[in-house]
Amino acid sequence: MTTTERPDLSWLDEVTMADLERNPYATYERLRAEAPLAYVPVLGSYVASTEEVCREIATSPDFEAVITPAGGRTFGHPAVIGVNGDVHADLRTMIEPALQPAEVDRWIEDLVRPIARRYLEQFEADGQAELVAQFCEPVSVRSLGDLLGLQDVESDKLREWFAKLSRSFTNAAMTEDGEFANPEGFVEGDEAKAEIRSIVDPLIDKWIARPDDSAISHWLHDGMPPGQTRDREYIYPTIYVYLLGAMQEPGHGMASTLVGLFSRPEQLEEVVDDPTLVPRAIAEGVRWTSPIWSATARISTKPVTVAGVDLPEGTAVMMSYGSANHDTGRYEAPTTYDLHRPPLPHLAFGAGNHACAGIYFANHTMRIALEELFEAIPNLERDTREGVEFWGWGFRGPTSLHVTWEV
Amino acid sequence: MTFAVTVGGRSVECDEDQALLDACLRAGVWMPNSCNQGTCGTCKLHVVAGEVDHGSSPVETLSDEERCAGMALACQARPRGDVELRPQGTSAARTANPLRDMVATVREVSDIARDTRRILLGLNEPLTFDAGQYVELVVPGSGERRQYSLANTADEDKVLELHVKLVPGGVATHGWLFDGLAEGDEVDISGPLGDFHLPPESEDDGGPMVLIGGGTGLAPLVGIVRTALRRHPEREVVLYHGVRGEEELYDGERLTELAGQYPNFRFVPVLSHEPVDGYREGFPTDAFVEDVSTARGWTGWLCGPPAMVEAGVKSFKRRRMAPRNIHREKFTPADG
Repeated sequence: MTTTERPDLSWLDEVTMADLERNPYATYERLRAEAPLAYVPVLGSYVASTEEVCREIATSPDFEAVITPAGGRTFGHPAVIGVNGDVHADLRTMIEPALQPAEVDRWIEDLVRPIARRYLEQFEADGQAELVAQFCEPVSVRSLGDLLGLQDVESDKLREWFAKLSRSFTNAAMTEDGEFANPEGFVEGDEAKAEIRSIVDPLIDKWIARPDDSAISHWLHDGMPPGQTRDREYIYPTIYVYLLGAMQEPGHGMASTLVGLFSRPEQLEEVVDDPTLVPRAIAEGVRWTSPIWSATARISTKPVTVAGVDLPEGTAVMMSYGSANHDTGRYEAPTTYDLHRPPLPHLAFGAGNHACAGIYFANHTMRIALEELFEAIPNLERDTREGVEFWGWGFRGPTSLHVTWEV
Repeated sequence: MTFAVTVGGRSVECDEDQALLDACLRAGVWMPNSCNQGTCGTCKLHVVAGEVDHGSSPVETLSDEERCAGMALACQARPRGDVELRPQGTSAARTANPLRDMVATVREVSDIARDTRRILLGLNEPLTFDAGQYVELVVPGSGERRQYSLANTADEDKVLELHVKLVPGGVATHGWLFDGLAEGDEVDISGPLGDFHLPPESEDDGGPMVLIGGGTGLAPLVGIVRTALRRHPEREVVLYHGVRGEEELYDGERLTELAGQYPNFRFVPVLSHEPVDGYREGFPTDAFVEDVSTARGWTGWLCGPPAMVEAGVKSFKRRRMAPRNIHREKFTPADG
């Protein structure tokens, strides 16, 4: 075989969004083996699927960030995940102060631990629970919601918003003409945004007049000349980034970690007995099932060759971190959850200057939640009468997790 | 040029141009990390000894104050020599009672139960220890060392009380402590050792406790339970002593007397193999599950053979005791 010979990728024509959302792993395993950088027709985009290619593109000077078409349709412009240069620098400067480790350390325990305790108290005497809906998601949204200044928005409403925004953001199927294949898939996201505006606009009015210590209040005021605030239209796309990913993914990460640990009962017992292992269990959990599975993209700023593929300037590439974290070139038996696997860095939080800004906050939110869960219910068992189903291509995690314990 | 990087008692080799994190992860030593490009701060740690080159650590992630205070980003820092690291969130080791080598004099040897002896060792100087810790005895002529828990409270610091079970054919027990050891003999010992002890009095909130000892695993519990009750006379405490048969029970009178002094203390002997009327039958770890419906907010103390300790951890968790409140001392007979 010569280097110019391309593998036959006609099988990709048969791949549907439903296939990818149900289980993307088989498709991406084949992509990693046959074409680590390939054009995937249903997505209307190039896809990077191996660890090496994802990392190369994410840190390359020849690429910059771009939001996926469905993501851009959902969030609008300028969302922090899809902008570059001065606007990106300004948005990162706006959001990062609250997410710096030294700052997070100052309040994370007092913020998250009481929230985790409160949700546990609601069911810890029941002997059974569905942890995704009763614990992982509520702790995730309540912690971030309170940080943002959304104390008055019910946790169930925040969960409803991220779910609708998430399905809209990943409504990625494209026609051959480059149009959205399912435009009706954006309707629920539009409805969620209308409701968000109706609730957050009055809060923004309040924060403009009377700044407080909530994150969104800081976003409006920090670094602005006296008497001026950032335009709300300028910050809304980044508010949506938070209300989707930052709300949803710590919950996904916790639930995936728990499912992984339930697959290795002896490792679950180790972690329950020694809470200092919780951070390592989470690191392996988000490698095993990466919450942000394939939701971010890069675009070439000049003609470039990657993994033997020539890309013209302006070519978008979707970063499949969930696939990269199952790369057999890097991980032995990547489909197995293993607390003790050689602890190589993973790509669950991305790489380069668009790496997740909330890594520290998210990791500690997940840590405190699982510490409290194991402390309150050290005899936790998966309810084997119920199955566990994972769903999602852009964002991925268990849809439910039924557990039991002796009371 | 490579240097030694020590973290949590493990030592790994690190090239002078290799990041500390990279060296640790490649050697299988895990530490918190995420972005590996110096921006997230997850891998921030303390440099306890030695010097590092911070490389391209951004000041936004690692401030000048933090650098001065001995912090580093493991994913960016390179060693300038041998270094010792301590991950964030792990506290510096509590000031331990100093370990000493001593010569003790045998004060008393008494047979207290089947194949079980109480040995009292007199010291010239008082020993500073916490109830529940242990000492090592040097077996004369063999150089072998054996560990025995102290049954003392911290103020009983001049005569150490050990409970010893005969191990057939054992170098220390069969060959020495049960054969030839006499009052007046000198014994080389080191101590105190171990972390099986109550928290400092200022951190002891007087919460309920359960203690389970298997055989001579009772020894440290005798010291701990007396200390705990003296601190908080009203606290709820249950002590189980599990043995095979009645002939292996000892210190019953002493503990029954204690129960008379402290109304919320219960002593429960349990016989596993040779049932006798008037005693609980079975394993002490099962007796606990029968007796206590919830152990939320309790602390648990287990000392005995590994199988008993493991069963105890399971029983405690079944009754929803927080795992961080479970203290365990496995004695694995080296003798034999």
